[in-house]
Amino acid sequence: MIQLKSMLNCIDNSGAAIVECAMVIGQKRHASIGDRIVVVVQKQRDAGAAGMAAASGAKVKRGDIRHAVVVRTKQKVTRRDGSCIKFDDNACVLINKSGDPIGSRINGVVGMELRKKKWSRILSMAPSQA
Amino acid sequence: MNVAPLARRPLGCLKTTLRQARQHKIFSRSMATEVQATTSTPKSPPSQGPDQNFYRLVDKKTKSVRSAFALYPQPLAAAGKPLSPPSTTNPVAALHEFQIKKLDPTGARTALFARTREAAKVGDILLVTHRRGGEPFAGVCLSIRRAGIDTAVLLRNHIGKVGVEMWFKVYNRNVAGIEIVKRRLKRARRARLTYMRKPKHDMGSVAEFVSAWRKSRRVFQTKGAKGKAGAAAGAGGKKKK
Repeated sequence: MIQLKSMLNCIDNSGAAIVECAMVIGQKRHASIGDRIVVVVQKQRDAGAAGMAAASGAKVKRGDIRHAVVVRTKQKVTRRDGSCIKFDDNACVLINKSGDPIGSRINGVVGMELRKKKWSRILSMAPSQA
Repeated sequence: MNVAPLARRPLGCLKTTLRQARQHKIFSRSMATEVQATTSTPKSPPSQGPDQNFYRLVDKKTKSVRSAFALYPQPLAAAGKPLSPPSTTNPVAALHEFQIKKLDPTGARTALFARTREAAKVGDILLVTHRRGGEPFAGVCLSIRRAGIDTAVLLRNHIGKVGVEMWFKVYNRNVAGIEIVKRRLKRARRARLTYMRKPKHDMGSVAEFVSAWRKSRRVFQTKGAKGKAGAAAGAGGKKKK
């Protein structure tokens, strides 16, 4: 249930750490796994290998407005067979306008619903799916 | 009767004329049956009172008596005897029983979550193998929702530092197997272990329990049958089909 002002973790290596939802794309009230949203980068990822990140140049900066795909939600998502999945956090992956991911890697589990919503690029980048 | 207006406007009141003709026909037929009904009174069912003769028609197709205050005979079952009164047992429970028998002919799934000593309980670590969708999901069982055919279990695990919870329907055909990886040492004193979501009580990843359990099962396996046969042999014990 991602809506305006929801804070999400960004789990790719685009340089954003925490983003805020600014809009849900499409005629829907809330975004769920696999839905596209517009986000504002609130916090940059600079901890750890700070020098390296600076050298490579974070692709996004604080205050940037980007598109993103929700990959995990705290809200339960029911599947066709009656099973449910629920994560402990809300997370997203930044994409550009044409739908390609900005980062090159994803660290963390993503929901299987991405397959149904045709985000195979993100699914293949993710280390594990649940 | 209606000849004069018909002549004046040939098609104007054709509909009315037809309607009147039909009414007249019905009336005449009812008059005829009235006469007939008096003769066949002893044949009619005894449940019909004397006031049943108020308005009667003989249906051409079914040959049954229809009236404005019809008293229809009791519906007959296929065998020809009257239908039995509705059973006093709970129909929903009967339906669940029927569905469970269909989806779980061996009774293994029912036995795994029955209220017995050897059944799975909350706090146990369970491994659910899904028929489609890749990796089996393991996790500590937080609650068991016993609801007939809708019986489901809630499993919690950590996958890469993120907590993941999943509900699985026990009688789902896509759930190929549910296995008990590790039992809780002491019986849980709650029916739902929702406190295990809190950081203080969180179990973390159960991956090491699952890998240890896999390793322990490999002991019984012969050296030649490593790999594909191993999984089948190990699954023989507790695997629910």
